[in-house]
Amino acid sequence: MTTLSIAEIVQSVDSPAEISAAASKLRQVISAEEITPNEVMNVFDSWAKNLDARELDDLPGIPFLRMWLRRGTLEPIVTRELGSEAPDGGWTEFGRARLRAFPLGIVGHWPAGNVEIQPILSMTCGLLGGNAALVRVPSGLVDLTRILMEKLVQGDLSGRLTRRIFMAAFEHGRQDLQAAMAQAVDGAMIWGGAESILQVRSLPFPHWARVSVFGPRISIAAMDAGAWGNPNGQKTWCLRLARDVWQFDQQACSSPQVLFLERGAGGSTAQFLSNLRQAFETENRAHPRQSIAAVLTSTICQARASWLLNDPSHQAAFPIDPAWTLLVGSGVELPVPTQGKTLTVLEVDDLAEAISKWDGNVQTLGLGMANEEKEKKLALLAGSKGVDRIVKLGRMHVFVPPWDGVDLIRPMVRMVRHVNSTE
Amino acid sequence: MLPFEEKIDRLLSMPPYGLPPEERQSGLLDLLKDELDYASGRHAGYKNFIQHWPTDFRAATRVADLPFLPVGVLKANPPLCFVNPEEIKRTLTSSSTTSQVPSRVVLDSPTARRMTKGTVSIVRDFIGSDRRPYLVVDTPGYMGTGELGARGAAIQGLQPFASEVTYCLSSGGQGDLQLDLERLKQFSQDHQNAEVLVYGFTFILWNHLVKPLLAEGISLNLPKARILHSGGWKRLQDQAVEKKVFDEKLAGVFGCSADRIVDFYGMVETVGVIYPDCSAGNKHGPVFGDVIVRDPLTLEPVAAGGHGIVQVCSILPTSFPGHLLLTEDLAQVIAYDGCLCGRRGVSFRFAGRVPKAELRGCGNLDSKRSAKN
Repeated sequence: MTTLSIAEIVQSVDSPAEISAAASKLRQVISAEEITPNEVMNVFDSWAKNLDARELDDLPGIPFLRMWLRRGTLEPIVTRELGSEAPDGGWTEFGRARLRAFPLGIVGHWPAGNVEIQPILSMTCGLLGGNAALVRVPSGLVDLTRILMEKLVQGDLSGRLTRRIFMAAFEHGRQDLQAAMAQAVDGAMIWGGAESILQVRSLPFPHWARVSVFGPRISIAAMDAGAWGNPNGQKTWCLRLARDVWQFDQQACSSPQVLFLERGAGGSTAQFLSNLRQAFETENRAHPRQSIAAVLTSTICQARASWLLNDPSHQAAFPIDPAWTLLVGSGVELPVPTQGKTLTVLEVDDLAEAISKWDGNVQTLGLGMANEEKEKKLALLAGSKGVDRIVKLGRMHVFVPPWDGVDLIRPMVRMVRHVNSTE
Repeated sequence: MLPFEEKIDRLLSMPPYGLPPEERQSGLLDLLKDELDYASGRHAGYKNFIQHWPTDFRAATRVADLPFLPVGVLKANPPLCFVNPEEIKRTLTSSSTTSQVPSRVVLDSPTARRMTKGTVSIVRDFIGSDRRPYLVVDTPGYMGTGELGARGAAIQGLQPFASEVTYCLSSGGQGDLQLDLERLKQFSQDHQNAEVLVYGFTFILWNHLVKPLLAEGISLNLPKARILHSGGWKRLQDQAVEKKVFDEKLAGVFGCSADRIVDFYGMVETVGVIYPDCSAGNKHGPVFGDVIVRDPLTLEPVAAGGHGIVQVCSILPTSFPGHLLLTEDLAQVIAYDGCLCGRRGVSFRFAGRVPKAELRGCGNLDSKRSAKN
C-alpha cells in the first residue's frame, strides 16, 4: 500500500457520497490489517518529535499536544485502560479469564470548534484502540489541523497509521454530511457545547454505535486561606492560575471560569489580587491573542460593564483591550461564564458552601490548598457534587483519563473475555 | 438647568457636518467629560464603572479614550437611569425579536428636547427645513402611549417636518398591517406636485406598500416625494431583496427618482442622532455626536478602510448612559474626512451585525443540569 498525502487525509467534502466512499476505504484498511497500540505509540512518539519545531511554537496547544503524544504519557494510559499486555496486542490475564481489546471499527470524532488541537486529541484516543478515524474538522481549524497532520505524515513512513484516518472539513450546518458521517461509524466521540452535542447525538447512528460525550462543562478554581494568604507562595499560585486561564483562550471545559477564595487569612485579598493581575499581564505578554471574534469582544465588554454597574461594591481590573479581565466580588453562586480570559474572583467564608451548590456542571476543580485535611474533605464533597477531576492549580488541562469521569481509549474498544475451555 | 447645557445648545445649533475633525473632537471631548462627571454623581454603579476604567477619563485627549459602555447594558430592567422617577417623561424601547430582551431608555424633558433638536438638525441637512405633507407608512396606533418603540420614535422624530400627517396602514383583526389604498390614493391626488415626506420602516415599506402596489400596477405619481426609511435590512435580506432593487421599486411606485430615497440608521439607544446615507453612499456623525469604529482585538479606532465594531457617541442624553455606546454593529471607515458629499468628519458604511457566537465548545454551560431535569 502507498502512503497518503496530506491532501488525501484532510479534505473539504461537499457530498454525503464522499464521506461514504472514505468510510468504505477506512473499513477496507482495518479489515486488512490490525495495528497494535505499540505501533501507534511509535508513530505518535515520532510525531511528537516532529512537532518540536520552532515554526510551530506559536501555534495554540502545541506544547500540550507534544506532551500527550509521547510514549511516556500514553503507555501508562494504554496499560491501565486496556491491560498490561495490551501495548503489543496481547491478552491480559484477569483471574481465570484473559482480556484483549479489539477495535470497534470506525470511530467518528466531532470535536468542538474552539479548542484548536481537539480534532487531533480526540482522534488519537480512537487510534490507540486500533480503530480507524473519521474526523469532522470544524472549518476554523482546517489550516492548523493540516499543519499538524503534515507532521504525522512525515513520521509515519509506512503509512500504516495515516491510512486509517480521514478528516472531513465541512460547515457545522451541513446536516446531510453530518448524517453521512454518523451512518458510517461504529463509535463516536463528541465534544462541545450543549447545542452541538444534542445536534450530533440526534444523528442517525447505527444502533450498535457507542457514543462518548465530553462536555458541556465548566471548571472552577478554589484556594484556601492558608494558600492564598501565604505571601511566599502567592506569585507562584497566581502564575499557575493564569496559565490555566490562558490555555485554549479559557474556552475549554477544563478552563477555570471562577476562583473562589476562602476568607480568613487575617488579611485582605488586595495583595493577592495585585499579584494575580501581574500574573495575567505577564501571561498576556508571553502569549498575546492574535485575533478575536467580534462577538467575544462584545461579550467581554458586556461582562465588565454589567459587573461594575450592577453592584457598586464589585471591583474589576482589565486593560482597555479585551486581552484579560478580573471581576472581583463575593458570594457562592456561579456566574454565567464569559470566557475570553475573564476570571471572576469570589470571596467566600467557606469553600465547602460554594462546592455544595454544584450539581454536575463542574468538570474540574483546580485547587490551591495549604490544609491537606481540608483538601481531602473538599475532594470528597466535589466528587459527590459531580466534579470529575480534582487537580492542582496549573494542571487543570493536563489531559489524562479519566476525563469527564470516563476513560478515553477503552470506551472505543470491545474488551473481549476469553475463558479457556481446555482447562 | 445643567451646568453644561449651554455647551450642548451651542453644538446643537451648529451646522451638523461643518466642523473639521480636530475642532469637532475638542468640542465633543470637553463636553463628554462634563457629562461623564455628571453621570458618575447620579448613579453609583456607573461611578463604579468609570472608576475602574483603566485610565482616568479626565486626562483623556481623544474621545476614543473615554470609557464606553456596551449597548447591551441598556437592556437592564429597570432601566439604567440618571434622573428621579418623577422626571421621566417617556421610556423608549428598541425593536427586538421575541427571543431578545429590548433595550429601554428613559427620557427626561431636557433629553427629549435635545433629541428632537438633534434629529431635526440632521434631517434638515438632507431634506431642507420646510414643513410638508407627511405620509407615514405605518398605523397611527403604533404611536401609542407610555413606552414608545423604535418605529414610533422614528415617526415622531420626523414630525417637525410635517405640515399634516397621513397614516396609510391600518391594523387588521389579527394585528397584521393592511394598506389603506383609498387613503393613499387620496394623499397622492392631493399632493401630486408638492414636496411630500414619506417615512416607513424598511421592511414595512417593502411588504405593505411596494409589494401590494406593484401587484396592482399602481404608481402614486408623487415625483417630489422624499422617502426616508430605517430599521435595517435583515428582513429584506431574508427575502433576497437587495438595496438597489428596493430603491428602484420604491421609486417606481412613488413615481420619483431613486436619489430621493434616504436610508438612515438609528437606534433608540442613541435617539436624536441618526445616520442617513449621503449622496456618496456613506454615513456621517454630526458635530454633537461621533462614530468610532474599533478593532475587536485592540479596541483601538481602526485606520481608514478598516473594519470593526461601531461605537456611537452623543452629547444629547443626560437621563441615561447613552453618551458612549459600543453597539453590536460592524462598519468600515471610508475616510476620516473629505467625503465627496462635502460633509466633514468620519464617513463610514455599515457592514452588518456582530455575528452571533459560533458553537463555543465545552465551557459555555450557563444552566445547571438539575434545572434541565
